Amino acid sequence: MSSEPSNDDRTTRRQFVRNGLRVAGLTGAGVMVGALGHRGAASDTVWQIDPRKCLSCSRCATECVLEQSAVKCVNWFPICGYCDLCTGYFEPQPIGLDTGAENQLCPTSAILRKFIEDPYFEYKIDEDLCIGCAKCVEGCRLFGNASFHLQVRHDRCLNCNECAIARSCPGDAFYRAPVANPYYQFTT
Amino acid sequence: MNPKTVGTTTENAEHTEGRGVVGEGRRSRVGALARARAASGSPSSNPTVTRRRFLGGTAVAAVGVAALGGSAARGRAAVPADENPWRYDLDRLRQVDPSAIGYERVGGFRVETRGVVRRLGWSGPRELVVAAGKSLLLYDTDGSKTAELPMDDVVRSVAVTSDGRWVVGMRDHVEIHNRRGERIARWPAFTGRPFVTGLALANDRVFVADSGNRVVYRCDESGKVQLRIGEKHAERRIPGLVLPSPFLDVELGGDGLLRVTNPGRHRIEVYTQDGDLEQSWGRAGVALDAFCGCCNPVAVSLLPDGRVVTAEKGLPRVKVYDASGRMETAVAGPDSFAPVGSDERGRGTPDSAVDGLDVAVAPDGRVAVLDLPGAAVHLFRRKGATPASA
Repeated sequence: MSSEPSNDDRTTRRQFVRNGLRVAGLTGAGVMVGALGHRGAASDTVWQIDPRKCLSCSRCATECVLEQSAVKCVNWFPICGYCDLCTGYFEPQPIGLDTGAENQLCPTSAILRKFIEDPYFEYKIDEDLCIGCAKCVEGCRLFGNASFHLQVRHDRCLNCNECAIARSCPGDAFYRAPVANPYYQFTT
Repeated sequence: MNPKTVGTTTENAEHTEGRGVVGEGRRSRVGALARARAASGSPSSNPTVTRRRFLGGTAVAAVGVAALGGSAARGRAAVPADENPWRYDLDRLRQVDPSAIGYERVGGFRVETRGVVRRLGWSGPRELVVAAGKSLLLYDTDGSKTAELPMDDVVRSVAVTSDGRWVVGMRDHVEIHNRRGERIARWPAFTGRPFVTGLALANDRVFVADSGNRVVYRCDESGKVQLRIGEKHAERRIPGLVLPSPFLDVELGGDGLLRVTNPGRHRIEVYTQDGDLEQSWGRAGVALDAFCGCCNPVAVSLLPDGRVVTAEKGLPRVKVYDASGRMETAVAGPDSFAPVGSDERGRGTPDSAVDGLDVAVAPDGRVAVLDLPGAAVHLFRRKGATPASA
């Protein structure tokens, strides 16, 4: 019986639970401090897309944790050609240059075409309809000035620590932009 | 002993705690039973969890979760690009019937430069000049570089006079340089929003294509603007130049008429040197005889007999038209050139001229094509033609 350990040598269930709670409490406190510190740092930056690296792969439409992606097409008007035959708006072989659904490239008809003056048309994005698939971006890039480009819209983005789209972006186009300058700046 | 209330894992311990069955008296009973079982050599019935086992189990679980996460991440990254359900598909349109191509590639070379290549010209029977960044590069047709002439600004167009001087178009002005590249004259900058992209030379006149102001200037030898050509004018039935992107080219034919690209209208327009519109032809479409995309053709040159050679971007194609605008043959199709967007220099800037082609015809009929994304020059000759009668 002398080799049998005393009760003091063993960890009782109560002690284990107490220790576990202590560890859990300390861990939780550490996580909270870390999260607060990280949030403080993360609040200085937000996710954004570099259009020069974007491959128009369509993952922005499918990988975002939101039901409707926070990534939207944006038309940068200073370099838009206001083309009658806009290759971001029309199918490569449109039947006619009008707003007929059969002529439109966008799968959700999210691009609005408005006549300005002969032969110029303005193209705006209805962001409630845009799913961020980048089909128009590719059409504009191939033939035009690449004024259509994808951007993370910060009124929608949750600014996840680990952005699901950024993780799967094959072009490594996602970067952290400063809050003071949250959208990609084209050089002029 | 109830196995539901006493176990060897943390889960069982928490389960037990959750049920609130661990009382002081019961703990004593459990402890005694455990000690008895330990003494009998039954390890599986140990009711306590040591710190070491707890930490060990946690580490194993963490490793498992990390492995699962890594596997999931690798799975996403491995998704092939052709699974894009919204792919912009031009593959079918990139195909050109080989029987429609009447030229063959007879040479070419890569332009060795860190600058963006923009324009191309013949400066001799065997010499080509390439505007690349802030310099003019002279190449022999076999691809050997013979000279590099540095300039003060980015060169956006170039032409050579009959006596060997260089007429160089910068963004907002034109400069004259001697054969060695030394500047002889600098013309005053054009007003408005100038963006010079093309030049054509006559005996005592220089025609300057300004895509920013959508006009072709007729200038005298001192650089004074004598006339503005191509601007919208209802009474003269001139529709006006439409230039969604900075591509405006001008070429002077042996008949004394100017050929001017009007990419936004998908047309070639023919003007007299006094600015009267004589003729225009061309149509939009992806068919081989049409001009594709939003804004084509982007460059024009003339064969010795007056036929017109055009170059397109987007679907990079070079074609030959007769004087009335009927397509005769293709010089080269998209497969002959680098894919659009393969050069990121300048991408995302208003200077989108990094994609596209330029074309220049030699006096013997050879067609030189500058592939901007690929930074390469390709030489083509009509199939069956001898070197002397290309």
